[in-house]
Amino acid sequence: MSVKNEMPQGTPEKTPQKWTRADELHAQRVRLGEIQPEKEPLNKKRFAVKALIILLVVAALIVAANWRIAFVEDLMLRSANGETVEMPPDGQYAPIYRLVRLVLIVGGAAFLFYAIIKLLAPKRRKPNRSFWGDLGIYIMLAIIAVAMVFPLVFSIASSLKPLDELFRFPPTVFARRPTTDNFSDLFVTLSQSYVPFSRYLINTVWITFIGTLGHVIIASMAAFVLAKYDFPGAKTFFSVIVTALMFSGYVTGIPNYVIMSRMRIIDTNLAIILPAFAAPIGLFLMKQFMESLPTALIEAAHLDGAGEFRIFWSIIMPNVKPAWLTIIIFSVQNLWNTNAATVIYSEAKKTMVYALQQIQAGGVARTGQAAAVQVITMSVPIIIFVLSQSRILETMASSGLKD
Amino acid sequence: MLKSVSGDYWSMRREKIRYGWNKAKRMKVCYLFLLPYALLFFTFIILPICTSIFYSFTYYNILEPARFIGFQNYVNLFLQDEVFLTAIKNTLVIAVITGPIGYIMSFMFAWFINELPKWLRAIAVVVFYAPSIAGSAYTVFSILFRGDVYGYLNSILLQFGFIDAPILWLSDPRYIMPVLIIVILWMSMGTGFLSCIAGLQGVDKALFEAGYVDGIRNRWQELYHITLPSMKPMLLFSAVMAITSAFNVSDVPRALAGYPSTDYAARTIVTHLFDYGFSRFEMGYASAIATVLFLVMVLCNKAIQSMLRKVGT
Repeated sequence: MSVKNEMPQGTPEKTPQKWTRADELHAQRVRLGEIQPEKEPLNKKRFAVKALIILLVVAALIVAANWRIAFVEDLMLRSANGETVEMPPDGQYAPIYRLVRLVLIVGGAAFLFYAIIKLLAPKRRKPNRSFWGDLGIYIMLAIIAVAMVFPLVFSIASSLKPLDELFRFPPTVFARRPTTDNFSDLFVTLSQSYVPFSRYLINTVWITFIGTLGHVIIASMAAFVLAKYDFPGAKTFFSVIVTALMFSGYVTGIPNYVIMSRMRIIDTNLAIILPAFAAPIGLFLMKQFMESLPTALIEAAHLDGAGEFRIFWSIIMPNVKPAWLTIIIFSVQNLWNTNAATVIYSEAKKTMVYALQQIQAGGVARTGQAAAVQVITMSVPIIIFVLSQSRILETMASSGLKD
Repeated sequence: MLKSVSGDYWSMRREKIRYGWNKAKRMKVCYLFLLPYALLFFTFIILPICTSIFYSFTYYNILEPARFIGFQNYVNLFLQDEVFLTAIKNTLVIAVITGPIGYIMSFMFAWFINELPKWLRAIAVVVFYAPSIAGSAYTVFSILFRGDVYGYLNSILLQFGFIDAPILWLSDPRYIMPVLIIVILWMSMGTGFLSCIAGLQGVDKALFEAGYVDGIRNRWQELYHITLPSMKPMLLFSAVMAITSAFNVSDVPRALAGYPSTDYAARTIVTHLFDYGFSRFEMGYASAIATVLFLVMVLCNKAIQSMLRKVGT
């Protein structure tokens, strides 16, 4: 804040032609990342456009897969009626895929080249950084990044392979004759399941929605008083929460089962939702973020005669939106991936991930579909993270554990 | 004399308690806010731990009422259950290797990534963070490390002539551990990594400028004298996260090495707990395992926190 105020502001507007030394310095420091350029508010339009594009791509994939199912089923029907039909070769889309691959590879190479040129341009470097050190770090980062991303790329590429290529020797990373058959087969399998697949999907969506909503409200209420009021027991309670950050569901899993069976909520959605309300990480992040809000805000509201609930609801909550988003995302990631195999036993109440894992467990014949399942389950959290990265990082900046 | 001093002490205590009680009464609305969360937190986190400690002294199989057997579970655990000793060994090997390495990796990569320009940094964060949020994406390693010639690694090694027969990466006890460690390291950049990235962006830039003036010559000096001390809270937080993930390894070995794995080579404390809790329904015994795990984690956390407090001071 104070750094920004030192800089002469509005000079370019006054003398548009003259680019003064001060502006030069300011621009350079912004480039170096020493001062943050003014933070723009969340650009709703851009966010919507991004979301729309992703939705469109997904919709297009689904439409294409459905079209393909209809086409193949039609052929099968006709061949069952005694007509001689020619099954389409899997490679009929190959030119398109090949083109896409070419574009991706060329684009990637150009991007890398551009990135390295940009990075090593001399004005970018801080005064105490050596050229060779920078180069070494970039090369190492590039190699590690490739290693990190390779398994993910491999699993996406596998989902596009026809069955014979999945068991090819020597195996290849990219498909020779890519198809979307695995996805369309998956849709066929899903439509034939004992309980309709939409049921699993609705279960998961419902659990995720209620669990996240309740978690955000309950955890923010607790975080608000822990962060802003000093009452007996607050410090002790918070230190217990910090210790509880370490307990994954495994340590508490077995006694939890016993407790839930006493509460008679085994085999209901509540068995997943209620523990999700109590996730310590959400409260922890929320409390740390709320501490950065000025206390004067609350005092002013007090003087104006607002009660605690009013302060919480109309002053604190609107001001911690980035933190909301972060704990929403952590909660969604957690609930979206629950398979809850230990607390849910009726088929109609099982979650989507559980159903997908059952398909995945179908053995060699379902290898292709398993790869498709993997791509679907992993893409949801990653897409959410990509869309909300800057907000999450804003919250995580206050995540530190002070002693 | 002594009596009056102790009397003073007690009256002071009483005064303090009364003061606290009055304060608590004045601020009862705070407790109202805390109540819903505290209730759930107590039911699903504190109570299970207490129950777990209680059941660890009993024989309990859900069907019959729990029967008190003293320390018998712990005695069996450490003196008779050889598989548990293997599990402890494996868990410690995984924790000692992946914990510190994953932790250092999280910080170092966050630090390197922080030097990149903004647009590239956003991409790099996604690339490094994606494996840990990608759900069950680690199962792809069962294809990469498959034991027959169709496995990716085997086929590469065969083609280049390093080996003449495929290696059973996930069934041979000699190779299971290294493979698991690689996979766990791949997934180790989670919440702690994000915290480091965010923390690095929040370090006061004026400190770096003061550093240039004071003659900090290279990045390592800057790291030690400026960056690390300002990052201490984030380092503590990601240490907690690193311990959690290092000790709770269970999904990866179960998915990759099988359950149970060959010769129990991939058995960890948590998979052992699963075996007794949800396959054999010996809840008392499983509770004893959970209690041991819990104690190890808390002690480890205390040790690391006291170590990290000394960093950069």
